[in-house]
Amino acid sequence: MSDSLLVRALVSRLSEAGYELLPTPFRIATVAFEFTAALRGSRSRALDLVLVVDTTTGDFGDRRTERVRQRVEALGRALDVTGSRLAVTLILAGAALAGQVEGLAELCRVLIVDDVTINSDAKPATPAAAAQLDDRIRLLLPLDIPARPAGLEGSSGTMTSLRASLEGKVDADLVERLLSASDTGEKAVSEALGRALNMQLLRREPE
Amino acid sequence: MMTTKLFELEVENFRSIRGHMTVPLDAQVVLVHGENGAGKTSLLSAIELALTGDVQALRNADPGYKKQLIHRGAESGKVEIRVQGEAEMERFCASLAREGVTQHSQLDEARATFFTERSYLPQALLGQLLQIYQNSGTGIDSPLARFVARLLGLHRLDALEAGLKPAADVRNVRKIATRWTDTELELGRADRTIVDLARSRRGAAELVTAEIVRLADASRLLEISGPVSELGLEALENVIQTIDAEERLQQAIDRILRLDAVRREAESADNLSEQENEKELSYNQQEIAAALLRWREAHSSRLTALRDRVEVAFPSTTFPQGMADFRSRALELLRSGAIGFREQAARGAAEQARIVVAREERDVAQKQLELLDRELAQIGSNSEALGSALAEITSFIDGDTCPVCERDYGELGRGTLGSHVHEKVRRLSGAAERLLDISRIRSEQQLLVEQLDREIADLEVRQLNVDAELQLSRRSAEHDSLIGELDGLADIVTEGDRLEREDVALRRRLSERDGSDLARRAARETLTAFAREAGLPTLSEDEGLASAAMRLGEALNEQRRGLERRLSTRRNALDAIARARSAIVARDKAEQALKAEERRRRLASDSLDRAQALREDAQTIRKGVDVVRSAIIRREFNDRLNRVWRDLFVRLAPGEPFVPAFSVPKASTRRLQPKLVTHHRDGGRPGGTPGAMLSAGNLNTAALTLFLALHLAVPIQLPWLILDDPVQSMDDVHVAHLAALLKTLSKQHGRQLIVAVHDRQLFEYLKLELSPAQPEETLLAIELSRTHERDTHRLIDRLAWKEETALRAA
Repeated sequence: MSDSLLVRALVSRLSEAGYELLPTPFRIATVAFEFTAALRGSRSRALDLVLVVDTTTGDFGDRRTERVRQRVEALGRALDVTGSRLAVTLILAGAALAGQVEGLAELCRVLIVDDVTINSDAKPATPAAAAQLDDRIRLLLPLDIPARPAGLEGSSGTMTSLRASLEGKVDADLVERLLSASDTGEKAVSEALGRALNMQLLRREPE
Repeated sequence: MMTTKLFELEVENFRSIRGHMTVPLDAQVVLVHGENGAGKTSLLSAIELALTGDVQALRNADPGYKKQLIHRGAESGKVEIRVQGEAEMERFCASLAREGVTQHSQLDEARATFFTERSYLPQALLGQLLQIYQNSGTGIDSPLARFVARLLGLHRLDALEAGLKPAADVRNVRKIATRWTDTELELGRADRTIVDLARSRRGAAELVTAEIVRLADASRLLEISGPVSELGLEALENVIQTIDAEERLQQAIDRILRLDAVRREAESADNLSEQENEKELSYNQQEIAAALLRWREAHSSRLTALRDRVEVAFPSTTFPQGMADFRSRALELLRSGAIGFREQAARGAAEQARIVVAREERDVAQKQLELLDRELAQIGSNSEALGSALAEITSFIDGDTCPVCERDYGELGRGTLGSHVHEKVRRLSGAAERLLDISRIRSEQQLLVEQLDREIADLEVRQLNVDAELQLSRRSAEHDSLIGELDGLADIVTEGDRLEREDVALRRRLSERDGSDLARRAARETLTAFAREAGLPTLSEDEGLASAAMRLGEALNEQRRGLERRLSTRRNALDAIARARSAIVARDKAEQALKAEERRRRLASDSLDRAQALREDAQTIRKGVDVVRSAIIRREFNDRLNRVWRDLFVRLAPGEPFVPAFSVPKASTRRLQPKLVTHHRDGGRPGGTPGAMLSAGNLNTAALTLFLALHLAVPIQLPWLILDDPVQSMDDVHVAHLAALLKTLSKQHGRQLIVAVHDRQLFEYLKLELSPAQPEETLLAIELSRTHERDTHRLIDRLAWKEETALRAA
C-alpha cells in the first residue's frame, strides 16, 4: 500500500530539510524495524532518527497505539543495547488521542501532524497549509532567523546606546551618576540628581 | 560566525563552591549537573562575575552582595575565566576577599551588556517568567513589562525617566535638591543686602562730599592754599594742626587781663593826681603837726592827771588811748555811776521810812488779835451742840410745861415755852456763826502779823551801816567832780582829736601819693611793652594812660576775636576732617561689604546657574532616555522578533494552537507597555492573553523562548547561551522539544551552550540528545558534588564524536 498524501508531504518536507529516507525495514543491531517512514538527519543532525506513523491509514500496526508503542520501545532497547546516541522523534500523521500521545512521549519525542490540507500532489494545498505543516514539525527543521531590516542596525546595550546618544551633550559626570543609580530604581535616580544638584549648589568657587 | 569560545573556568571559594576547582568549558555543549546546593548556579555566577564584574541576579536582591560572594569561612578566593578568541586567549578574573571583590579584567562594556542581557539566563530571571504569564497585565508595572524591561535594561531607562521627572518642575527640584531653595533664599537675601549696602555706601559718599565742601570753605578761611580732596585729608590736617592760634589767643587774653589790671592802676593814679597839689598837701601837714604839738604842750599834763583819776575810779576798765574816745568813755561810765549812787541813796531813805511804818502796823495787828481772842473765849465752844439738842426737844414741848423739869414756863410770864426755846435755839445758832467769822478773821490777822514781822526783819538787815554810807557819798562826790572836769575839757579834747586825725590823714595821703606815681610809671611802661608785643603803635608822650589802655584793649580784643574765629574755623575744619574720615571708612566698608556680598551673590547665582544647567542636562537626559527607549523598542519589539519568537515557541509547543506575541507598539515612544496577545498559529482571529490561552507548561515555554528570541534577534556579539536550569516545571514533552531546540541552536547556529540541570535523568537525556554528531563537535558533562566539610568535587565526562553504527539497512 502506498503512503498517504500526508506522509508523502512530510517525507518530502523533511527530505528538503536534509533528512535522508531510510529503507524499510531498517535494522538496529540485529533487529529489523518497520515504520511507514524513517528518516535520518545529516551532518549536525546526524543523530536524529525520525519515524513516521500513519495513524489513519498506516500499516505495521500504525493504527493501533499499543503496536506503535511496542515498536518504539523495542527500538529504544535496541538503541540502548548498541550504545547508540540516536535520538528518536516520532511523527504521528493523523489524529491521535491525547492519552495515546502521552504514553508515547515517555519513550521519545512525539510530534503530531493532523489537519493539514494536502493536495493530490502530496503538497500542502496552500501557503498557509505549508506553514501549518512546518509548524507541526518545526523542531526538525532548521531555524531561520529573518534578516534585520535596514536602519535598525546596532545592538549595543541599552546603557551604551544611552551613553552614546548623550555624549558631549550633557555633563558626563551626571550621566554616570544617574546611570549607576538607574539600576536601583527611580528613587535612587532622583536622589542622585538631588545630590548632584546639591553639590553644584554647595560649590562656591568662581568659574 | 564568531568563534569566541569559553575555554576554562577557575573557581576558588566562590559562593557555595568550596576549595579550588578548574572547570573546562571548551566544548560546543557543556552540561552541568549537580544536586541542589552542589554549586551549579555558583558556577554560572562565577562565569558572569569573571566576565562582567557583576552578578545581576544577586545585585537585584542585595546591592551589597559583593561582600557575600566569598565562600563562607574562606579568607580569599578567585574566579577566572579564559576565553578563546579568534586570535588569542583572553583572560578575565576577579579576586575575592571578605571586604568584597577586586576585578582585574573584564569584558568591554558592550560585550558585558550583551552577556548580561542576552547570553545568560539566570534561574532568578527565569523564575519570574511563570508569574509573568500568569499575570499578564498590560500596564507598565505588569510582570511582563518588568521582565522585558529588565532583560533589555529598559528598567533602568524607566527608572531614569521616572527619577528625572522632578527636574521638569522647579517645585519638585526643590524637593529633591534641598539646597535649591536655600540657594534661592540666599540670592533673595543677597539682593536685599546689596540694596541696603548700596544705600549706605551712597549715604556715606554723600557725607564725604559734603564734608569736603565744608572743609574747602574752612580751608579758604584759614588761608590754606591748594585744592581740598579726599586724598589730601592727612596733609591738610597736618597743615591745620600747625596753626598755632591757641597760643596766640592765650597771649592775647593774658594781655587783655594784664591790660585791665594796668588800666585800673593807671586810673586810680590819675584820680589822685587830679585831687590835690602835692606841695600844698605837704604844707598843710606841717601846719597841723605844729598845732598838734602846741596843743599837747598846753593840755597834756592836765589830761594825764585826769586820766589817772578816772583809771583809779574804774580800776578794772581799760580805756582807749585817743583823747576824745577816752573822754566819752569815761563820761559814760561816770554818769552811769552817779545815777547808781543816787538811786542807792534814795532806796536807803525809803526803807528807813518804811521800817517805822511797818513797826506801827505790826503793833495794831497784834492788838486786834488779842481782842478777837477775848470774844472767842466769851462765845464758848459748846453753843452749837446745845442749839441742836434744844431744836430736837422743841417737838416734845407741849404747852408751857418743860419736858425736862416739868415746870410750867407760863408761870414766869415771859411768853410761851415754845417761843422761849425757839429764841434760845436762834441765839445759840447765831453765836455759832459768829464764832466761824471770828476764827476766819483771826487767822487773817495772824498772817498779817507774821508778814509784817518778816518785812521788818528784812528791812533791819538791809539798813546800811555808817561806813558804807560815807563811802558811797564820797565816791558819788568824786564822780560828780570828774564829770564836771571832763565836761569842761570838751572843747580842748575835740580840738586835739581833730588835729591828730588830720595829721594822720595827711601823712597817709602823702605816702599814697608817692606810691601812685610809681604805679603810673610802671603802667606806662607796661602799656608800651604791650603795644610793642602786640605789634600796635606805642604810647605817644601826650597820650593818657586810660586812653592808651582803651586803645590797646580794643586792639587786643579785636585780635582776640580774630583769633577766636580762626580757632573755631580750625576746630570746624578738624571736625570736618574727622567726619569725612569716618564717612570714608563707612563708605569703604560698605563698598567692601557690597563687593563681598556681590561676590557671594555671584557665586550663589553661579551655583544656581550650574545647577540649572545640570537640571537642563537632566531633562536632556530624560529626553535622551525617551529617544533611546523608543529606538530600542522599535528595534526589538517588531514583527521580526515576533516571527523568531513564534518559530521558537512552535518548536517547543507544536501542539499549542495559540502562540504568544507582542502587540507591537506603533507610534508610541513612551514607556514600553508590551501587550502580550496570542495568535492562532494557523491565522485567523487573535486569541486572548497568554495567561488565558496557554497552559502553565506552555507559559514557561513562552518565557524561555522569548529570552532565546531576544538573543537571536540581534546581531551576535557573544555566541554563548548559558541557561541555569531552564526546564524547571517543564513537562517531559517540552523537555524533549527543548533538547531539540538546543541542538539546533548549538549545531546550526554555532552557539556554545552551557546548561545546568539538577535532574539526573534529564542530564542523561540531554547528554544523549546533544551528543556530538560530527567529528568536530564535543560535549562536556560536568557533575558537581559537595558533601559537608569537603571541597566541591567535579567529575568531568568529555564526549567526543563517534561513528554511529547501530543503524543499518535491513
